Amino acid sequence: MSKRVLNHPPEAATGKKYWRSLGQLAETPEFRGWLEKEFPQGASEFHGGELSRRNFLQLMGASTALAGLSLGACRRPEKHLVPFSKGVEWSIPGKALFYATSMPTRQGAAPLVILTVDGRPVKVEGNPSHPAAEGRSDTWSQSSILDLYDPDRSRFFLESGKESDGDKFSKGLDLLLEKAGDGAGLAFVLDRTLSPTRERLREEILKKYPKARWCVHEPAQPEQARLAASVAFGEGMMPDLQVEKADVILALDSDFLSATGGTVRTIRKFMARRRVEGPDSKMNRLYVVEHRYSTTGGMADHRLRVQASQIAHFTVALAEQIGTLTGDPNLKPLGGPTTKFTERWIEEAAADLVAAKGRSLVIVGDHQPVAVQLLGYAINAALGNIGTTITGRRTEEKPGLTMGALAAAIREKQVQALFIVGANPMYSAPADLDWKNLQKSVPTVIRLGLYEDESSEGASWHVPLAHYLESWGDSLAADGSYTAVQPMVLPLYGGWSEIDFLARVAGLPKPAGPELVQETYMKRVGGEGATLTGTWNRFLLDGFAADTASKPEALTFNGGAAKDAIGKAAKPAAAAENTFEVVLEPCSKVDDGRFSNNGWLQELPDPISKLTWDNAAWISPVSAAKLGVTDGDVVEVSVNGRSLTIPVVRVPGTVDNSLTIALGYGRTKVGRVGIGTGVSAYPLMTTENPYFSTGASVKPTGAKYKLAITQEHGTLEGRGADLTRQANITDWQANASNGDYFKKMGMDSHIPENISLYSNPPLNEPHQWGMTVDLNSCLGCSACMLACQAENNVPIVGKEQVINGREMHWLRSDRYFASDEAGVDDPEMIIEPMLCQHCENAPCETVCPVNATVHSEDGLNVMAYNRCIGTRYCANNCPYKVRRFNFFDYHQRPLDKLYTWNLINEKGTPDTLKMRNNPNVTVRMRGVMEKCTFCVQRIQEAKIAAKVRAKDSANMLIPTDAFTVACAQACPTDAIVFGNIKDPDSKVSKMRASPRSYRLLEYLNTQPRVSYLARIRNPNLKMPGADRIGSFMSDGHDHGHGAKPAAHGTPTGGNH
Amino acid sequence: MPSTESLVTLTTPTELEREPLVRNQRGVRWITDNVSAISEGPTPFWWWVLFLPCVLLAAFGTLCIGYQISNGVGVWGENHPNGWAWDITNFVFWIGIGHAGTLISAILFLTRQKWRTSINRAAEAMTLFAVVCAGIFPGIHVGRVWMAWFLAPVPNSNGIWPNFRSPLLWDVFAVSTYFTVSLLFWYTGLVPDLATLRDRAKTRVSRFLYGVFALGWRGSNRNWRHYEMAYLLLAGLSTPLVLSVHSVVSFDFATSVIPGWHTTIFPPYFVAGAIFGGFAMVLTILIPAQIVYPQLRDLITKGHVDKMAKIILLTGTIVGYAYLMELFIAYYSGNVYEKFTFFSARMGIDGKGYYSWAYYVMMFCNVISPQIFWFKWARNNLLIVFVVCQFVNAGMWFERFVIIVTSLAQDFLPSSWGHYSPSWVEIWTFIGTFGIFLSLFLLFMRFLPMIAMSEVKIVTPEADPHAHSPTTGVGVDAHH
Repeated sequence: MSKRVLNHPPEAATGKKYWRSLGQLAETPEFRGWLEKEFPQGASEFHGGELSRRNFLQLMGASTALAGLSLGACRRPEKHLVPFSKGVEWSIPGKALFYATSMPTRQGAAPLVILTVDGRPVKVEGNPSHPAAEGRSDTWSQSSILDLYDPDRSRFFLESGKESDGDKFSKGLDLLLEKAGDGAGLAFVLDRTLSPTRERLREEILKKYPKARWCVHEPAQPEQARLAASVAFGEGMMPDLQVEKADVILALDSDFLSATGGTVRTIRKFMARRRVEGPDSKMNRLYVVEHRYSTTGGMADHRLRVQASQIAHFTVALAEQIGTLTGDPNLKPLGGPTTKFTERWIEEAAADLVAAKGRSLVIVGDHQPVAVQLLGYAINAALGNIGTTITGRRTEEKPGLTMGALAAAIREKQVQALFIVGANPMYSAPADLDWKNLQKSVPTVIRLGLYEDESSEGASWHVPLAHYLESWGDSLAADGSYTAVQPMVLPLYGGWSEIDFLARVAGLPKPAGPELVQETYMKRVGGEGATLTGTWNRFLLDGFAADTASKPEALTFNGGAAKDAIGKAAKPAAAAENTFEVVLEPCSKVDDGRFSNNGWLQELPDPISKLTWDNAAWISPVSAAKLGVTDGDVVEVSVNGRSLTIPVVRVPGTVDNSLTIALGYGRTKVGRVGIGTGVSAYPLMTTENPYFSTGASVKPTGAKYKLAITQEHGTLEGRGADLTRQANITDWQANASNGDYFKKMGMDSHIPENISLYSNPPLNEPHQWGMTVDLNSCLGCSACMLACQAENNVPIVGKEQVINGREMHWLRSDRYFASDEAGVDDPEMIIEPMLCQHCENAPCETVCPVNATVHSEDGLNVMAYNRCIGTRYCANNCPYKVRRFNFFDYHQRPLDKLYTWNLINEKGTPDTLKMRNNPNVTVRMRGVMEKCTFCVQRIQEAKIAAKVRAKDSANMLIPTDAFTVACAQACPTDAIVFGNIKDPDSKVSKMRASPRSYRLLEYLNTQPRVSYLARIRNPNLKMPGADRIGSFMSDGHDHGHGAKPAAHGTPTGGNH
Repeated sequence: MPSTESLVTLTTPTELEREPLVRNQRGVRWITDNVSAISEGPTPFWWWVLFLPCVLLAAFGTLCIGYQISNGVGVWGENHPNGWAWDITNFVFWIGIGHAGTLISAILFLTRQKWRTSINRAAEAMTLFAVVCAGIFPGIHVGRVWMAWFLAPVPNSNGIWPNFRSPLLWDVFAVSTYFTVSLLFWYTGLVPDLATLRDRAKTRVSRFLYGVFALGWRGSNRNWRHYEMAYLLLAGLSTPLVLSVHSVVSFDFATSVIPGWHTTIFPPYFVAGAIFGGFAMVLTILIPAQIVYPQLRDLITKGHVDKMAKIILLTGTIVGYAYLMELFIAYYSGNVYEKFTFFSARMGIDGKGYYSWAYYVMMFCNVISPQIFWFKWARNNLLIVFVVCQFVNAGMWFERFVIIVTSLAQDFLPSSWGHYSPSWVEIWTFIGTFGIFLSLFLLFMRFLPMIAMSEVKIVTPEADPHAHSPTTGVGVDAHH
């Protein structure tokens, strides 16, 4: 529902004034005194126009009683957001309202809906009506709500570090711009967003100041992809991967399934081809060549470890092979690769790709050099994929200056005023630019930032930036559709939005958010002569304009140009035995450092390494052993005269002689969460080698660093047949009608029938809740974990407590490696989300001495927090170890004060963080146990709604799949499905009925309500090692007795 | 008729002379004087030397508890998955120690083992103090101590009762019953001796206090008849408790599903272990007491030590059998999880156990070290006995640590495995309970008769009217 007050004209400051009493009109001191006596709690609000974070909640909606009197305090006539001074019919206190918006990211906006309660946004969900989201979201969108309330965000206008205000800044800005002339001395550094309004403002600015410099700084998204596409397909044309059309996909160092910012669309398209329902199901096949495990690599049917710097050679070798098979002239005379790869791997993969001509796809990572990407396009062209699995899309974005060019201009003293909008180049500019000194040398630096961070230091002006949930804006989603960004709340800390700021610089008459967007909207969507009434509201209501997705354009591959560029490109050095390559990657959590102060993201375990709160150099166990280092040992990495000391973490599946370091850590000026986390890898980044550099030497320093890793143990200990069942597609097809195939593996293959001496009370409610988790679809992206954290007010505990093993995530993502003896260095990986299994015969319930955890009639294992005394017996007796104990008062006390003697029960959590909490979920105190509740608050809400609908009739059934739980709602791949298992039409019932479904530790007779669906893989049987794929996962070492399952997922049957 | 006589002499083996329970033919008066003297005499210097540090430790331990309660259980080292560690280890350790006292008082009383008389008082006191220490841990280990009364079946408006299916609740009842009955039993036994002290008291205060607690004991027949009946009944009541308390404690583990806990052998194994550890603690206390009060050597003789050492050998071997049986069952079950817990996590045969060293410490202390008691010279050497008892004390603590922590640290899902290490707060809380235990025991030694005088007197040769007079022919002490 959009906020329909938008079309109100701004209230004239000199218009009619309404008053309630003569006293109010006169504003006499006596009246004020009376007012303060009458409403003592709100007394301070009557004085200033300041909106403090303390009174925000009352003002925003909770206290309609005060609203009539305090309007002057919170109404800002220039804004079109009006607090609920009168009851509006859609707003019921305590009831949630959903507003559509989108989170701008560099890859395209993530379409969202935001759940707001009493004026507070509390939860982010994917926009269900947007085709690029289909209701799903990702880690960054889920966690963005916490940034909104971050108490460390910038609150003040700062003039040379001293507190100032917006008016003074505006005056200062006007003065500056008056002298700007043609703008030759002006330069802008911005984040990348796909906002058409921002593009429009850029044009306005350039119209006024034609010589101004415009530079987009995205350290984590180098220009290679755009450059390669413009050479291959012409300027302004970008490839759009139709992964759902591809039968065979080869990803060359491309983590195209990473669930970060706006990538849900690709993931869903890919997963649509991994679904396995019946015996005649077909799956796509994924080959991944990469230097370390990514979530994409985890999905692979075949994975090969190759250094990032050797991907070029690998691509050449592959091109040769495909050139031989297809006879494509563009692939012929390339000159053999200098590095040897497993020949059969390339031969068979190439043959598979060629066999699927026109239905295959080769994806080269965006970070790879232009020549490699061009070669990738050439291979796709040879495979006939251009126009089928790769189509085109026109981009509207005009490239600006590179950071290198801007740096040169600054060095030549051509820049007098530098506007840094959002970006943080002081922290993240490539090291060779010496940006730190350059920025200091610019006479006037004006910074618009969410935080007072590195780039604000020494700036002439710092302006607080409004969060996207506080600002008006627009963007393009991954499918090119035009999406709305609308504020959920007035800026908590009085920030300016990016477009407001740019409009101010452009000197536009109406520098206020909605009008700016409306103007763009009218031009883009409305067409000539359109009016705002109607469609604009629809736009806000839906969060996007329908039918604006970009139309697929025909691509013409410019083979000649590509060949030229490939020929001219310098050949990267071959891998050397004794040196390392260093790969710098954006962190899947804190990105390039922008989310560094987000505690949820900092505490989210990396999907693969399970590292929290820090980055570390990923190293293969073999290389680590050679260097004599282990997890947490600090090494000195020297490459091209630059060096860095960083702890290492051993990650199986990493290629030898390669270090992968996540960017985004080691911030020097950041809030209390991000400070002291990790090491900045930017000192190793150069404009020439933004991604990898070779020839690095790595020396152990002997120092130790404590890493907070949430999963101590990563191997399956031969329990795969019990815990992570899987099979190959051929076995699946042969056994799809055998309901016992997956149910009788491991221990379950030889256990007697479970009997119980104790009969639990019957579960006879018409709703019986259950869940399925499809291991075949789960990427391990961890969006579910963050969704759960946001929905259920799960606290973060800080690095020290993670080291102590006390992280609170109700839902965790278990990552297992498995291999046989020979393949220890290159194991397979599986990710298994683990949460309360809601056992019907729950071991936790019998042992709780105070009846604090009991079973509900609808099949939930529920916690009564206020009954819990915290014996922890339930957690001990939980075979799945999913119960979480509040060892400290995480919600009340700052994380650095947990150990401070606390006899007087001192508290100190910032109020804004309390405002973020979901009001429907109890905030747990210390000393109580908690765990997944199957989002019982959502269940109750749905039940109440059903009862209200039922009125006098007896049908109080919740309609099939009318709602779902937070994790399932966030899951980009639909791996988690929740619903009523008693309803045969529900999705969860169907999933449970699948022959793939099995339950964990069945032999304990716990009768879990969560079922797992076995993973199915689609290996190419001709590939080297194909006979072993999947066998380590499903093969328990339990050969003692009993019938072994007919097959353990080995196509050749048995591997012993 | 010499022929018959010689036949009798030939067919009847000569009765070996039993070592007397009280050495040196100490008479009744000697016993009264010497035992009472301990509490009547001036406070010895060594007593203060021991008592003050113990009180300091107890105070610091209490401070640690205060810190833990005010900040949260997080100041300990526990985590996920190790929800219990030192807290419950210490609880089971102390409650185990609290077994010897009641066993000596009740079971040995019912089975007419007269040698119990000189050690039962101290052993029972030790039991009570050990149970006091044990009771601290379940109390403070919970996250919200102030809500611990939810454990009590108090009728309330919410209609919520404790969960009677939970072994932890049975524990609450079992331990509190045990404490109550042990206290009554101990106190009942004390009454005649308190009266003796009252009668000998020189100051008004002590006469008043001993008098109050002696409950007007006159030593009349009626008194004695009632006393003996009460004592017998309490002994009868306590006997099943000796077996039930530790069985119930073992249910905490045995009824769970965790490999290493889910074991049907636990109740007898825990009871044997508790008696084993309890006797070790009795000896740990009585051997030094014998040294500081040499007169006690006539009452607590080598024979007593010898018998207790034999019990330690027996129960230690039972415990060893249980350990091996656990291993066998783990193997025989064919269950991967059970096998992992016993062979990998505990024995560490594949190097995967986090705490395998603790398993071997336990094995050495509890199974190997008592085997020296097969030899009489070892049982008769107080130093060796004392050293072995210290091994047993440590071993029994490690047994509980092994059971609790190794099982939790590495259970079903390898993803949730986690190490545990104690924090200083936990360590000092545990040390603090030793302070509490020893302080209480020192107070007991100082103010109450350490030896059950009235009972010992019954087992002196003089008390047996049918026995031969000893060669010296000393009659019954007329001054009783």
